Amino acid sequence: MPDAPSRVERVLNLLALLLDTRRAITREEIVHDVAGYPSQITAYRRAFERDKETLRGMGVPLRTEPIGDGSELGYRVRPEDYYLPDLGLDAEESAALRVAVSAVSLGSHAGEGALLKLGGLADEAVAPIASLPIAPALAMLFEAFRAHAVVRFTHRDRVRTVEPWGLSSKRGHWYVVGFDRDRDAVRAFRADRIDGDVEVGEADSFEAPADFRPDDHVESRAWLLGDDPAVRVRLRVDADYADAMLAELGSDATVDDTDVREGSTVIEVAVTNRAAFRSFVLGFLDHAEVLEPAEVRADVVHWLERAVAGRP
Amino acid sequence: MSPRALAGPEIQRILALVPWIIAHPHSSKQEIALRFGISVDQLDDDLALVLMIGVPPYSPGDYLDVEEDEAGHVTIHLADYFQRALRLTPAEGLALLAAGRALLAVPGSDPTGPLATALSKLEEALELPGLVVDVGEPTQLEAIRNAVAGHDRVEIEYWSAGRDELTTRRIDPEVVFFATGEWYVGAYCHRARDERMFRVDRIRSVTDTGETFEPGATEFETRDVYTPRADDTRVTLELAPAAAWVAESHPTEAVTERADGSLEIVLAVSERAWLERLLLRLGPDALVVAPTEFATLAADAAKRALGRYRESDLGRA
Repeated sequence: MPDAPSRVERVLNLLALLLDTRRAITREEIVHDVAGYPSQITAYRRAFERDKETLRGMGVPLRTEPIGDGSELGYRVRPEDYYLPDLGLDAEESAALRVAVSAVSLGSHAGEGALLKLGGLADEAVAPIASLPIAPALAMLFEAFRAHAVVRFTHRDRVRTVEPWGLSSKRGHWYVVGFDRDRDAVRAFRADRIDGDVEVGEADSFEAPADFRPDDHVESRAWLLGDDPAVRVRLRVDADYADAMLAELGSDATVDDTDVREGSTVIEVAVTNRAAFRSFVLGFLDHAEVLEPAEVRADVVHWLERAVAGRP
Repeated sequence: MSPRALAGPEIQRILALVPWIIAHPHSSKQEIALRFGISVDQLDDDLALVLMIGVPPYSPGDYLDVEEDEAGHVTIHLADYFQRALRLTPAEGLALLAAGRALLAVPGSDPTGPLATALSKLEEALELPGLVVDVGEPTQLEAIRNAVAGHDRVEIEYWSAGRDELTTRRIDPEVVFFATGEWYVGAYCHRARDERMFRVDRIRSVTDTGETFEPGATEFETRDVYTPRADDTRVTLELAPAAAWVAESHPTEAVTERADGSLEIVLAVSERAWLERLLLRLGPDALVVAPTEFATLAADAAKRALGRYRESDLGRA
């Protein structure tokens, strides 16, 4: 007598049957036909549930349809839902994708999984050039973005309802950018700050503007991420640190050439989040000093005085 | 490991390699094994399993047929339903696009080359939306990448944030990569006589020395930009709930949560100025528990900074 079929063999035969059938078939027909299911009713039901879960977990589009007079459920996989379309990639293009997957580390094996489906892995190892870890929520957001489905998620302890208009990565972080329905405005959310699952609503629930550029709305400079009244802050920074500071402040920071003093540079920059800006300035220790406006300067001085005094 | 955990990858591999073999009859087993990242023995096991797959009524002609010639070339027949691979999952589609867009964003990539056309085809055929990836381009990146490519020994002016000083050093740049949102160069530093990681945006200038070096002397892991060393000082901090982000964004060696929501964490600290900067930013939300020599670190740094403000107040008065 031959060995009992392995679970892998059973699942592959189940999938072959579901793809090959022209009509939905019942669980009882399936367990009767496919080798390897237990004969006892609760045991085969449990085994079938597990197999369905395995297939769905891999992304197999398993359909459940009422059959006959509707009193029974049947299963099938429509080939047109299952089959990966031909991408028409030439050899150079396939190789370029393999290089990309091996050169960019995303912290998951999904890229390798995709390459297997496209016909194989990289021929040789490529030195990694970039690491851009993908937060677990991002795949769901990507699917919602593709399907034009509204999402709900918890971001920094608040529930947000958002039309995902785009995904963008800046300074190593991934963002979902879209229309926040509660705040009635376009907002960007860091994907790694989303807690728990993303609820995905119905497909085709919105239309994003055709010329929408998600990166225009992603702000990674913390001192511009806030609702404090906008102020232009003047800073004096030691000359040796001026380049480093200007590089971090970005393009809208300006050097005040009229205030030239030996060994230092005066820089002006817009700020809408004062706490974040204070944190940024303190990162330069005693090499930088806020000059104006007076209340921003006073805030930093007050903070330093408290730090000198220590914790109450 | 549970049987469920074991079954998934094996099933997925078989579902991927069957369509490929169908489309490429008479391929060598070595090539197939290499493509699918397995040994030839594993491939033999997979093919033995493929022979067991069929559809009702399971007569001999209803099973997949694997044909192998004397040279070890393999062909699969009678598998219409497995003629194409399974569609990509959202996570897989995202991973391909993200990796591709990231590599294309690296300065110097060909914006119209095979990677760009591959991504366009992928987006079109799978109706995937576009992603926008920005990895930045610090001023000295191009000079550093050229030095890495040419194995050129260079002299750099570097602002070391950890020690808070500007130094000039000769380095042998081995690798350049983007991680935690910054560009880094891993190099042998002749000043430190050791391997060092430098942030490219903190390099103020790159000067060619006219010398070259033999590459491959060092190995860098891009995953851990900062790896704690055995001789780093272990610092225990008490963090108020408002400063809990520190535990997430820094490599901690221990984290204990207290009943009131505050955290006690242990950090490996190699540079004093780095800790000063962190403490100064956290202000009242952090307290050094140990070692005691660091207990007044924040207050001392604050005093120095405050001194600067007092001085300029006097200058104005």
